[in-house]
Amino acid sequence: MRIRHAAILIAAALLLGACGTAAEAPPSQAPAAVQAAVQAEDGHNDTDVMYLQMMVAHHGQGLEMVRLAEKNAKRGEIRTLARAIEVTQRDEVKLMTGWLKQWSAPTTVDHAPSAHADHGGLPATGPEEIAALKKAKGPAFETAFLNLFIAHQHNAVEMAHLETKQGSNAEAKAFADRISASRADQIKQMLQLLNS
Amino acid sequence: MRRFIAYPLVALGALGSTLVVAAPALAHGYVSAPPSRQALCASGAVADCGQIQFEPQSVEGPKGLKSCDGGVAGFSVLSDESRDWPAKAVAAKATFTWVMTARHRTSNWEYFIGDKKIATVDGGNAQPDAVVTHTIDLSAFPGRQKVLAVWNIGDTANAFYSCIDLNVGASGGSGGTIPSTAPSTTKPAPAPAPTPTTKAPAVPIAEGGAGWAPGVAYRTGDKVTFEGKTYKCRQSHSSIRSWEPSIYTLALWLPL
Repeated sequence: MRIRHAAILIAAALLLGACGTAAEAPPSQAPAAVQAAVQAEDGHNDTDVMYLQMMVAHHGQGLEMVRLAEKNAKRGEIRTLARAIEVTQRDEVKLMTGWLKQWSAPTTVDHAPSAHADHGGLPATGPEEIAALKKAKGPAFETAFLNLFIAHQHNAVEMAHLETKQGSNAEAKAFADRISASRADQIKQMLQLLNS
Repeated sequence: MRRFIAYPLVALGALGSTLVVAAPALAHGYVSAPPSRQALCASGAVADCGQIQFEPQSVEGPKGLKSCDGGVAGFSVLSDESRDWPAKAVAAKATFTWVMTARHRTSNWEYFIGDKKIATVDGGNAQPDAVVTHTIDLSAFPGRQKVLAVWNIGDTANAFYSCIDLNVGASGGSGGTIPSTAPSTTKPAPAPAPTPTTKAPAVPIAEGGAGWAPGVAYRTGDKVTFEGKTYKCRQSHSSIRSWEPSIYTLALWLPL
C-alpha cells in the first residue's frame, strides 16, 4: 500500500504541476459580460484555479455528451435528465469562468484533461470516447451514453474531492460540494436507468 | 477513497504540502451492468451499504483474491451473503459492462463462478476504453449464480473486484439483460420515500405547491415551496441533492 500511495502522490504532484500553475497569458477577454450569479471572495490558491479550469474543460465534454443524449436517447427519462444536466451545467460554466476572470486566471487549461495518461490512468472521457458516442445508434446509444456519462461524473466527484481537501476559496469549495452531491445522485439515477 | 487521505499526510508530509493534494483523484472501475453489488449500492437498489455507495469504482485489492470486497474492510458489505442481493436475469450469453474512471493499463479481465475460472479476456497491457464490454458464455451455469469479475491492472500489483448476482438463462433477454416491465410512475406521492427496488426508478410525481423534495419528478410549470419562497419549474427533471431552488439552479427553478 505504501508504494501505491506514493505513486498516487507523485501522480498528484505531476498533475498539479501540469495544471495548477497555468501561468500562460490569458487570452484577451472582453470584460466579463457574463456576470457570475454568485460572487467568490478574491482569496484563492492554485488548487482553486486548477479545479475550476479543469471543471470548465470537463463541463465542455459533458455538455457535448448530454446534447447527443437529448437528440439520440429513446427513453424520455434519459432525454429529460440530459436536458436538466445541460441547463444546470451551462450555468455552472458561467459561474466558474466568472470566478476565474475575477481572479485574472485563464479560463482554459492549455491541454485536454486526457493529457494525464502518464500519471496513472486516463480519465474516463477523451475525444475518442465522444467520437464513439456520436456513432452509436439505437439502444446501443443509451447504454453507451449512460456508461460513459457515469464514468464522466465519477471523475467530477473525484475532482471535487481534490478541491474540498486542498482548495482555499470558500465559495469554490462549497461549489465543489454541490458538484459532488449532484453528480453522485446523477450516477444513482443513471445506474437505475442502465439496469431497468 | 476517503480512507486514502489521512495516511499520506502522515507518511509523506515531509515531501512538501503540495504533494498531499489529490490522493482521491485516481480511481478505477467496476461492473455497471448487469449491476455489480457495488452498483446496486450506488444506485440505491440495496440500502445501507456504507461508504461503497459513494465510490463503487474503488474495490481494489491485491491480485489473486476471490473476494467481492477486494479485502477492503470498509467494503465488507459486498461479501455479506445475508444481504439478499437481487439477481439480474440474463441470457446464457451475458454482456458485462465495465465503467472505468481511470483507464489503467490492463493485464486482463477474469471471470469466476465459485473457484472455477469461466473466462479470461486479454487486455494487451494497453489502456482500455472508458467503457469496456465482454460477452461471456454462462450456458454451463444455469440458474442463480454469483460471478466474480476481476480487472487485473498491468502496471501495479492490484486488481479491481466486482461481484454480480445473476439468474442465468431464466428467460430470454438479449444483450445480457431482460427488459423491465412497464414502469409504474402514476402514483401521486409527494414523499421522497427511497424504497429499495431493482425495478425502473419509480419517481413520485410532484404535487402542486408542495415543499421541494429530492427524488421527485418535477415538470415544467410545477410549483414548489422552498425555505418560505415559491418557485416554478423551468425544466422538467427528477430532483436530486443540490438541485433544490437556489441561486445556483435558476435554470431549473424560477423564483416567483
